[in-house]
Amino acid sequence: MKFSWKLFMWTISIVAVTLAFGGYYLVSSFFQSVLSRETKQALDESVIICFAFETSALNIPSKYEHLQDRTVTQIGATLDSGGQNRYIRISGEDTAALYESNGFSSDNSILNDASDSERIYKITLADGRYYIQTAVKVNVVDRELYFETLRDITGVFEEREASFSVYTRICIAVLLCEGVIIFLLSRWLTRPVNLLSAATRNMTRGNYAYRARKISNDELGGLTEDFNEMAASLEKNVEQLQEAARSQEEFIGALTHELKTPLTAIIGYADMLRSQKMDAKKQILSANYIYQEGRRLEKLSFDLLDILVLKRTDKPMTQFSASSIFEYIEDTFSKPHINLLLQYDESWIMGDPSLIKTLLANLIDNSDKASEPSDEIEVTGKINGCTYIFTVRDHGCGILPENLDKITQAFYMTDESRSRSRHGAGLGLTLCAEIARLHDTVLNIESAVGLGTSVSFGLDTGARNTETEGGDSIE
Amino acid sequence: MIRILIVEDEKPIRDLIDIQLSTAGYSCTATGDGTEAADLIERGNFDLILLDVMLPGVNGYELMEYIRPTGVPVIFITAKHEVRDRVKGLRLGADDYIVKPFDIVELLARVETILRRCRKTDSRAEVEGVTIDFDAHAAYKKGKQLDLTTKEFGLLSLFVRNKNIALYRETLYERVWENEYAGDSRTVDLHVQRLRKKLGWERCLVTVYKIGYRLEVPK
Repeated sequence: MKFSWKLFMWTISIVAVTLAFGGYYLVSSFFQSVLSRETKQALDESVIICFAFETSALNIPSKYEHLQDRTVTQIGATLDSGGQNRYIRISGEDTAALYESNGFSSDNSILNDASDSERIYKITLADGRYYIQTAVKVNVVDRELYFETLRDITGVFEEREASFSVYTRICIAVLLCEGVIIFLLSRWLTRPVNLLSAATRNMTRGNYAYRARKISNDELGGLTEDFNEMAASLEKNVEQLQEAARSQEEFIGALTHELKTPLTAIIGYADMLRSQKMDAKKQILSANYIYQEGRRLEKLSFDLLDILVLKRTDKPMTQFSASSIFEYIEDTFSKPHINLLLQYDESWIMGDPSLIKTLLANLIDNSDKASEPSDEIEVTGKINGCTYIFTVRDHGCGILPENLDKITQAFYMTDESRSRSRHGAGLGLTLCAEIARLHDTVLNIESAVGLGTSVSFGLDTGARNTETEGGDSIE
Repeated sequence: MIRILIVEDEKPIRDLIDIQLSTAGYSCTATGDGTEAADLIERGNFDLILLDVMLPGVNGYELMEYIRPTGVPVIFITAKHEVRDRVKGLRLGADDYIVKPFDIVELLARVETILRRCRKTDSRAEVEGVTIDFDAHAAYKKGKQLDLTTKEFGLLSLFVRNKNIALYRETLYERVWENEYAGDSRTVDLHVQRLRKKLGWERCLVTVYKIGYRLEVPK
């Protein structure tokens, strides 16, 4: 059963039972109090009638020592005319009626219990009407007489019935109204649960981006919030996993491509050389291709090895001078088609000089590939507080913004064809990023298509150590 | 003459295919750029296109869309081994695919199969007085059909397709028996000797010392 139905049923049941008991108790207690008042009145009446009878009997001239049956009947008739809704009966010692009001419709079995000490009463039902019957034994003159009164209290009972029936109708009306209200209320209260449930089903179907709508600020609202938070973190995890799986797949795909292309050439040319008679020119061409592609494979494997080794290396902490780096760059890249512009502040730098050289060489190499021959490539080194900032800037083709975060991925090349026209396997920047990571810094890449690219990174100058141990590591 | 367009951006591989197909007697045009390839397809009337999937300019799949209406058969060259990639190529209308790295023998076999299937070449070849009908799997000498076993016919087809190329025992074994070469099996020698005798090719089907056999035909 649905929670809202349970809530509805329980509430309705409890309200119905409470109303029933409460109402019954209320009506009954009211009835009891009316009944006891009626009883008291009936007993009072009996006292008055007895007193009136005794008075009348004593007023009869005393020549009669004996109270005649006829006299009793006469007095009875006189007394009877006094009240409506009241009947009397006077009986002699043998309980035979001497006087009986018209309409006295009850037997005299009550007389068996009657005594002269105390009035007794009972409630009787005759011909569909309720009465209070009282009885008492009284000594008058020389007689022992039984006095009975009968008081019609049907009205009290009818009133009770009427109260019950009215109350029942009220109850039904209340329950109906309340039913509707509780039904709506329970639906409204359980709505966050339904929404949550719908969200869960949605997520089960793989729609991880779906979120439950928060519609209340109570515990259920809190639950919805918690659920959404959980969903968000789950979604993030799933995305990360998918991303990891995808990038691994891409890596393997790219590696396969990088391996297969040179292998195809090597195997193909070697096969040609061993199985065909070829002229000298073709032989040299084939051998040359085998050599080139072999070197390419070699470079690829060493680059991969470098990256793997770097991932397991600790942070290098040697001190070296900025000038040593820039002198190396000047020597290495003094080629006619490269137009290098070097500008640097002298400083001590903390790190591994050979790795930093590799990093810068790779960056300059990339810039060279992106630029037209003899375009300017600026390499600058600046001190900024305790940090030494290297920047390599070119005026080449630039990188599309959407590719910026991918360029440090292994084998990624901005040229979609993975064209080897300018050589390289797409590992250069991966290596650079890895070296930067090792030095606790990051490559800061800015690029605009058509305007050029600038890559910078900061290294610790180790300024505090310069005084104590700086002297002999220079040159 | 059969004209083949080679679209492959890696120069070493492009040259390799070019040299091989030219040696096998096809007329080859080679390019490394997708856009240029599209121009060539529009202008030239090619019988077959060898298409690399990863290309600068226009990629291989896109180029495929362009080639399909012309009805020129296409063999994809791909480095990707995943079924997904191969299926994609075939679904786009490629006739066959070849996965890098590939043997020259395999390349030639596929090229010839596709050409024959597309009726671009005669299904019959005439070599040294022997007529070979590839479709009928039969060989004739002086109008008389020769009694060849399936393996012998397989060997014959391989030699005819790779004229003047030394075929290694392992290559012969792998292609005809479609099995991994065990190393010292005499099976190949036995079959080649029988084939030689049946065809009367004692002089032109020569043994290459320590390697295998070569069908020598004057160019």
